Amino acid sequence: MNIADINTLNLVAGYLLLIFPLGIILWNRIQIFGQTLLAVARMTLQLLFVGLYLRVVFELNNFWLTGAWLVIMIGVADVSIARGCNLRIGRFAAPLFVSLLAGTAVPLLFFVGLILKRPFLLDARYIIPIGGMILGNCLRADIIGIKNFYEAIQKSQKAFQHTLAQGARLQEAIRPFLRDACQAALAPTVATMATIGLVALPGMMTGVILGGADPMTAIKYQIMIMIAIFSGTSITVILAIWLSIKSSFTAYGLLDHRIFKR
Amino acid sequence: MIQTPAIEIANLMVKFDGKRLIKAFSMCLSPGEKVTLTGRSGSGKSTILRCLLGFVVPEAGTIHIAGKLLTNETVWELRIRLAYVAQEPDLGTGRVQEIIERPFTYRANSRLRENLARIPEFFERFLLPVHLLDKEIATLSGGEKQRVGLITAILLDRRILLLDEVSSALDKTAKLAVAEFFRSRKDMTVLSVSHSPKNFSFSDRVIELPYNYSKGKQ
Repeated sequence: MNIADINTLNLVAGYLLLIFPLGIILWNRIQIFGQTLLAVARMTLQLLFVGLYLRVVFELNNFWLTGAWLVIMIGVADVSIARGCNLRIGRFAAPLFVSLLAGTAVPLLFFVGLILKRPFLLDARYIIPIGGMILGNCLRADIIGIKNFYEAIQKSQKAFQHTLAQGARLQEAIRPFLRDACQAALAPTVATMATIGLVALPGMMTGVILGGADPMTAIKYQIMIMIAIFSGTSITVILAIWLSIKSSFTAYGLLDHRIFKR
Repeated sequence: MIQTPAIEIANLMVKFDGKRLIKAFSMCLSPGEKVTLTGRSGSGKSTILRCLLGFVVPEAGTIHIAGKLLTNETVWELRIRLAYVAQEPDLGTGRVQEIIERPFTYRANSRLRENLARIPEFFERFLLPVHLLDKEIATLSGGEKQRVGLITAILLDRRILLLDEVSSALDKTAKLAVAEFFRSRKDMTVLSVSHSPKNFSFSDRVIELPYNYSKGKQ
């Protein structure tokens, strides 16, 4: 690797850039000053911890350790989605976990095993960064999709019940809501794919280029990661909704309002 | 031979916000009978229709539809014996033709698709111009929407119709057309809800519901 390291003193100096956003926040009396400081502190501590931990994980490159890392990341995403959608974690933990696991693992293992042809499938140096990117996008897509799905049914109760009264089965009654939720969840990735490279260089490509690779190699990685993200988000959203339906509707086909946190 | 009642409600009790809305209500409708439920606002008229559809689960009591007990297991097969027209039907979005055709894409109604050929006949019968079929549903007036809901329910060919204040937005001529239609359909059982029974001149019986809601927590 011929990437230039950032020494501790320079890293601290880098925080000086925060003068601009913090100055704007103070100048305009925007009520997020404390929140911003806390977010910066959290980011620093979390990333320092991750850096130290990843150094160990990469050195050991152990199947169980890498697997455990993935499971922990999925668990954290699981809780974040339930919170982000204002849903009761008790009801959604299991379906969200399964949908995130499938949405992350299927494209990840395809990418690492079949495209990159890594001899060791759970190679930490590939699995963790690529898995993190896919999972991060799955999390965002799930929040948009699940929130959109359940809130739309709650808001359109009359229309939903009208459909049931006309003889629709639950699967038929939810179909238009499912379609809208999937569209809302997938639209950002579709828009990103359509403009990628024109507006900004994406994160993975930047990382590969900074790591010293040829830009063409970086592009190939970026194409694959975008396809993996799109595939993962579609799997996770549809699965999260399908798997959560059973515990979210009553036997009469009505939305159980207890799924929402008060 | 004793006929199985089309609808049989026994000792129905419904609570709303901890207060008793319907108290020990019983009613029996024979096949082909037309009954109107009336009573002041909050007496639970519409709630009884919603109980029949499984949208409100009663605290106590039983509901039989065509002899079958309504439970969380039978609700799906019983719903397809009923047609429901709401007071302000939320028919979704799209053109009127699409709105009417939509329920016929459901598996339970797919064998009834040929009934769609009768749309112009019912539009004429209920005094709606056929060109409305190409209009967006949102552009229709309340009375037109009510009649579109009613026509869809009739095309679904159910033997039991539940009508919730369906003539509230209709003019006198349209009300007469609706009444004349139901009077002519001896095979159809109709349970309607209206604050004014005069709206349902085709009814064989009118049942006035008592007002229980203000009696506090029970």
